[in-house]
Amino acid sequence: MNGRFKAAWVLRGLVVLFVGLAAAFLLDLWGRPTPLRAIPLVDPAFLDTATVRRSYADLVRAKEDLSDFDCYACHEKNKPPVLRYDEHQNLLIPTEHSDIVMGHGQHGRNNNCFNCHNETNLELLQTRDGRQVKFTDSSQLCGSCHGPTYEDWEAGAHGRISGYWNRSRGPIKRQDCINCHNPHSPPFPSRHPAPGPHLLHELTEAPARAETAH
Amino acid sequence: MSAFEPNLQSDAPASGGDMDRRSFLRTSAVLASGLAALAASLSPLRKLDDYVSLERFVQKYYKELTPEEMKQVLKRIENEVERQYGIRPHVRDLKPMDGVEFVYALNLTRCIGCRKCVHACVQENNQSRTPEIQYIRVLKMPHGSLDVEKGEHNYAPESVPEKGFFYMPVQCQQCKNPPCVKVCPVHATWQETDGITVVDYDWCIGCRYCEAACPYWARRFNFTQPSIPKERINPDMAYLGNRPRRQGVMEKCHFCIQRTRVGRYPACLEVCPAGARKFGNILDPNSEISYILRTKRVFIQLKEELGTSPRFFYYFDV
Amino acid sequence: MTHALRDYLVFLRRCGRIAFVGDWRYYLWMGVLTVFCLLGLNAYAKQLVNGLITTGMSDQVSWGVYIANFTFLVGVAAAAVMMVIPVYIYDNEELHDLVIFGELLAVAAILMCLAFVTVDLGRPDRFWHLIPGLGQLNFPASMLSWDVIVLNGYLLLNVHICGYLLYCRYRDLKPSKWFYIPFVFVAIGWAVSIHTVTAFLYVGLGGRPFWNSSIVGPRFIASAFTAGPAMIILALQIIRRVTAYRITDRALLTLRGIVQVSMLINVFLLVNEVFKEFYTGSSVASSEYLYVGLHGYHALVPWIWTAITFNLVAMFLLVLPLSRSLKWLNLTCVLCIVGIWIEKGMGLVIPGFIPTPLGQMVEYRPSLNETLICVGIWAFGLLSYTVFLRMSVPILQGRLAKTNESLPDPGIDGARASQAAKP
Repeated sequence: MNGRFKAAWVLRGLVVLFVGLAAAFLLDLWGRPTPLRAIPLVDPAFLDTATVRRSYADLVRAKEDLSDFDCYACHEKNKPPVLRYDEHQNLLIPTEHSDIVMGHGQHGRNNNCFNCHNETNLELLQTRDGRQVKFTDSSQLCGSCHGPTYEDWEAGAHGRISGYWNRSRGPIKRQDCINCHNPHSPPFPSRHPAPGPHLLHELTEAPARAETAH
Repeated sequence: MSAFEPNLQSDAPASGGDMDRRSFLRTSAVLASGLAALAASLSPLRKLDDYVSLERFVQKYYKELTPEEMKQVLKRIENEVERQYGIRPHVRDLKPMDGVEFVYALNLTRCIGCRKCVHACVQENNQSRTPEIQYIRVLKMPHGSLDVEKGEHNYAPESVPEKGFFYMPVQCQQCKNPPCVKVCPVHATWQETDGITVVDYDWCIGCRYCEAACPYWARRFNFTQPSIPKERINPDMAYLGNRPRRQGVMEKCHFCIQRTRVGRYPACLEVCPAGARKFGNILDPNSEISYILRTKRVFIQLKEELGTSPRFFYYFDV
Repeated sequence: MTHALRDYLVFLRRCGRIAFVGDWRYYLWMGVLTVFCLLGLNAYAKQLVNGLITTGMSDQVSWGVYIANFTFLVGVAAAAVMMVIPVYIYDNEELHDLVIFGELLAVAAILMCLAFVTVDLGRPDRFWHLIPGLGQLNFPASMLSWDVIVLNGYLLLNVHICGYLLYCRYRDLKPSKWFYIPFVFVAIGWAVSIHTVTAFLYVGLGGRPFWNSSIVGPRFIASAFTAGPAMIILALQIIRRVTAYRITDRALLTLRGIVQVSMLINVFLLVNEVFKEFYTGSSVASSEYLYVGLHGYHALVPWIWTAITFNLVAMFLLVLPLSRSLKWLNLTCVLCIVGIWIEKGMGLVIPGFIPTPLGQMVEYRPSLNETLICVGIWAFGLLSYTVFLRMSVPILQGRLAKTNESLPDPGIDGARASQAAKP
């Protein structure tokens, strides 16, 4: 009888266990999914396809105010502006053009405005071999020194192209040099990067390691 | 023989088939409470609204759908997206163009590591924001090494690029010999004639074997229902491309199939401020991509030794 | 014809009924296992609703304890059938009936494997995509498609062999050799193949150099043939204790011999692996992470060294005559099983993902839900195996036979039923 007695009690215990389990399941006592901490949406500035700068040609196309480019509003015709240098041969920028920061080449190369600007006609640019270049064609001027890059740019390998890879389906827009490069200080500007990736579980094993390790 | 005498009494019925009432009640109580516990254990399934759809359950494999069936499927997808996000999208089934093989080139001299490509891709391709799915991962690499183990993923300086480092974005390489295609047990991922390796999101069983197989960590899995903010939905969709995916399926970069198969550049290329990304048809000798592969001297295909033959070429200008 | 069918249905019904009959220890054991099964089922229901985010897996570590347990259990299933070799190839009559217990363990293990793979799927409702003809099974390119075929085939093979032998014994008929001997020999080869196919799942991935190595296949077999027979040694002793079934110590010692040789080979292969990894100074990053830690991450290091210690201790015990005594043998078996479980799970599956192919370090820890599902499936496997034994032991003892159809179900040890059987 002993075994039967024990079996009866085990079965009673199981009934209680099962009923308790059913209640626990219905009450959802554990394993509830933790709500995910919402990752902030990226700043729409990072989705912007605009170029770094706008070229003279862009301004013309957009029919914007071009009074900044009206050189003879201040300068006299047929009177080339005089360039002034300090004791270290650095170009002194006049206060009227204080927005210009010179940085086109190391060791003070290109310290002469008229390497690119035409002193006899300030509304034009000039190459070293004397070609006159319009402001809207400024890439020709860049290419007169930066040959290999110009070749790449023409082929589409350098610089930005947007639109259609399949030219028969639609147009492309090829950017000019100065859409990315400031002609007075051409190195491509650095910028603040967009936010980095987030882990699915944001495990706490290595919270502060993000900066130094992998 | 056994070490001790087992208890010889068992709870067998007293005589052929009849049970006395108490043990019968006890047995029924155990069975009933057991069944109740079983039913209760399945109670979380009350919240299961994702699976219940006969139409979706029996949907055929992409390559077996007739044009009429595909039209119905596209319509169904449009209805679902409208119901979920309140925007009526335009979902197309775009076929590959003849005489086209896509190749991507990335100029490591020009990439500044700004990660705009990562986010433009997320926006274009309706990727989940929480949890985060990003097809492109930008690695910050020290000068002089292409060993990805030296790369850093979570750089967050004040400004990029940082001196002494270069930046290498990695995404699906659309390999000519794709390991992911080889291992998929149900052919849910395959390579199309224009070189894009695609995923049929309605066929994938979510085993994640392709994710284990990819040497470039390019594939992503939906661990839960993706969440896309309504205001950021891109309604211009393709079946094999950027239509919203569901819980439990794989996804990855597909060269913006909804753009490239109508002749446009992918979103990552359009947003890159430095023009580091180049894309086009390698079978067209006049494309910029052909020019690059002809003239640049050194190309890196990541993990070339694995024989995957990626269609993604990294190169340097200077 | 109908008579034969009726007899078979009665047989099935009696087998089914006997699963619910037992003593208090049986009810307690089955009851507790059922509780764990239900806990697992409930956890799985939550996983179906919320997705695999309820586990600890991520895009970086995309396979976890589910596939780790799957890998271990495929090995157990394969090894359970290897007991067949001494009986049928070396004519060892001692082990004859024990073959059925081994094959039943294989069936239970395969059921667990199928369960682990199913709970790992992101869309289990699309399982029909795997059925050849109906779906698009990528055979022969995908090793997973091979796995689907060989695992299900193995299940059918073992169910047939056990079912046939047990039904013949039930009807007190001599089994016809042609109905089971060829299948037994096929099962021997098939057992090695199921585990090799599973090994090839990993080896075939060029992007994971930790797995893409020729030693993985042999290591799988060696460790399977250590853990599998070890489990059977323990299971047979439990059967011996709980029922009156006669199992000699010699049978256990024969199995000990298999475990001994397999463990020696397993340790030898481990030495090979460690030498290859660390001698030249250019180890695969995952190996570094596993054995010594990498870039400040070292969660698996204590686990692998525990496994190696267990394996070494077990190896020495197996080699010494000390392990001929059952007490020491049982301890050795436990060490083998735990050591190899850790080795296959944390020592193989997880480190393959850390670091990622792009060098990112993200560690993995199973969640509560994931653990409950694993426990639930293990409980289901033990439940199945217990039910199989509950049915097969009385049949093999002759207490559940066609001749005593009209009599009450035999108890666990059969004292009552054997009394009732007297006219």
